[in-house]
Amino acid sequence: MKRFILIALMVVLLAVNSLYFGVSRVYVSTWGFNLDLLDKNISKPFLEKYGIEIIRELGNNSTRLTKLEMQKNNPRIDVVHFADYYAALAKKKGLLQPIDVSKLKNYKYIYDFAKDPIGGHYGIGYTVFSFGIVYRTDRVKEPITSWKDFWREDLAGRISLPDITTTQGPAFMMLMNRIWGGSEDDMSLDVAFKKLAEIKDNVVTFYKRSSELINLFKMGEVWVAPVARFAWGRLLATGLPLKWVVPKEGMIGFLNTVSIVKGAKNLENAYEYIDFLLSEEVQYAEAMDLVDSPINKNVKLPEEVAEKLTYGEDHIKSLIFFDPNVIVEHRDEWIKKWNEMIIGK
Amino acid sequence: MDQEMERDDNWKIESFGEVARVYGKKYVLLLLPALVFLGVFFLVPLLIVVADSIRSSEGEGIFFNYFAFFKDHVSRTAYLRSIRIGLWVTGLSAIISYPTALAIASMSNRTLKTVFMTLMVLPLMTNPVARTFAWLAVLGRYGLLNNLLLSAKIIEEPIRMLYTEGAVLIGLLQLFMPMMILSITSALENIPEDLILVAKSLGASGFQTFVRVTFPLSVEGLIIGGTLVFTGSITAYVTPAILGGSRVLMLSTLLYQKAAVVLDWDMATTIAVMMFLTTLLINAGLRFIGKVGRK
Repeated sequence: MKRFILIALMVVLLAVNSLYFGVSRVYVSTWGFNLDLLDKNISKPFLEKYGIEIIRELGNNSTRLTKLEMQKNNPRIDVVHFADYYAALAKKKGLLQPIDVSKLKNYKYIYDFAKDPIGGHYGIGYTVFSFGIVYRTDRVKEPITSWKDFWREDLAGRISLPDITTTQGPAFMMLMNRIWGGSEDDMSLDVAFKKLAEIKDNVVTFYKRSSELINLFKMGEVWVAPVARFAWGRLLATGLPLKWVVPKEGMIGFLNTVSIVKGAKNLENAYEYIDFLLSEEVQYAEAMDLVDSPINKNVKLPEEVAEKLTYGEDHIKSLIFFDPNVIVEHRDEWIKKWNEMIIGK
Repeated sequence: MDQEMERDDNWKIESFGEVARVYGKKYVLLLLPALVFLGVFFLVPLLIVVADSIRSSEGEGIFFNYFAFFKDHVSRTAYLRSIRIGLWVTGLSAIISYPTALAIASMSNRTLKTVFMTLMVLPLMTNPVARTFAWLAVLGRYGLLNNLLLSAKIIEEPIRMLYTEGAVLIGLLQLFMPMMILSITSALENIPEDLILVAKSLGASGFQTFVRVTFPLSVEGLIIGGTLVFTGSITAYVTPAILGGSRVLMLSTLLYQKAAVVLDWDMATTIAVMMFLTTLLINAGLRFIGKVGRK
């Protein structure tokens, strides 16, 4: 009797096993936004064409990085989506493996800046967003044209800037350092910190989330602020008379990247997934639903969609990219200096 | 029969000793659930945090983190600001709450009293995040308060009230005042009415009765209320984060930055322990003042 139960158990186990491994899978770690659209644009067609099921693990950048670190010796995840800063951090911690780009058919169609943003082919940019200036056309008399306009007297008390702890904060400071004449190799950013100290009392508050900034615009507290393009649609929805400016010094570009986890168990599927993600088909569908701006150069978008995304020749040409690896090296030191600047000596 | 009588007398329990006499030593068992819970979920973690903060993970020697905490201009400023705002909130709420509590405690109409008590507790039942966001609508440049001042012609231009220490202070005051009112009210209600009648019959005026009988007996309520309000104020995160923003760095917002952004756990635990020690110190200070005041 005992033996019979044992055999029965083994049969059941085997059956479950073959069922479980019968379907090919890829485990993807990503953000928990727009899940229904991701299903429609990516999961469903991917399953239909390649027979691979996408299993997603969700969370913000830092939680998912921590999880990846904990699973280092036996990773569950195959592919991970990160903001470029976190991708550089994951690379530094040795959690990723280089991508063999020759396996990707769509690699040659993407912008050059998206091809190897964190170095060593540890990540590929699959979407881009710009960081420009937005202002109230009814309140600001003289149009905004430059990043230096934040130092204008008539805007004092009506501006907001990103906090250093935001994704955009460090790159914003690097750009300010460059604009105000700091040396490109001087990573102390002393010039930027000194300039920012001059106007810190003119800043209503240094925002920490794009939703906070949208609220500040809505309440009428803020007339001018640097804004990430992904928040532009929601800002327009407030119905306020707002304008997006490409400053003459250029806009900052940020990438979201996709990487393969070191020791990934479904390596082939991971390559198929990344290639599919970069394909014109997916990039177009995601853009049309305003989920992500395309980095595949073949994607053509209608005007009404394009104006809400990071898209268009001039828009893309104005982008300045800062090396996320440099930000990883210096961020803690900059946060310290930032606190000192805010508190004042 | 005699024993029964004695038991009856003992129903008015006033100290642990009497609890012990009534229930025998078994009363210790009554504490067990709370002791186990607090031991596992509070005392042990607290000890771990304290130990971690004392010995530095980078091997710089014991108490290094505390030296670093006080040496750093930023954390020192945030600490002093938190204490300053905490003391203001505690003091102001005591001044505003005492008359309110006195009025509530002396109401003889039961229904009216219940209505007022409910009104006092009501803010505690709304979500603190929602309440804090409501302040944005009140304190904003086009908010309620500015509009009022503008239409009364007291000011000509809207004032920037948000993202200042003042905004944090007002937010915290509204958040924690109910605790002060509740503690004082319950202390006042515990004063036996006989005492007041005795004082009056011995010729004390209303004012004398208040100064020499009512107030000294209600000091305990002020101490408990003060500790609750102060502890709440210096540990609150949402209010300083939303109403103070990144420009008004306080201990709790600095703690968040160290723990969640910079991942400097050494400093984060040190700040947490400093918060804890400060509330203990303030509690002891309030008790001391209470004792001196009663003499």
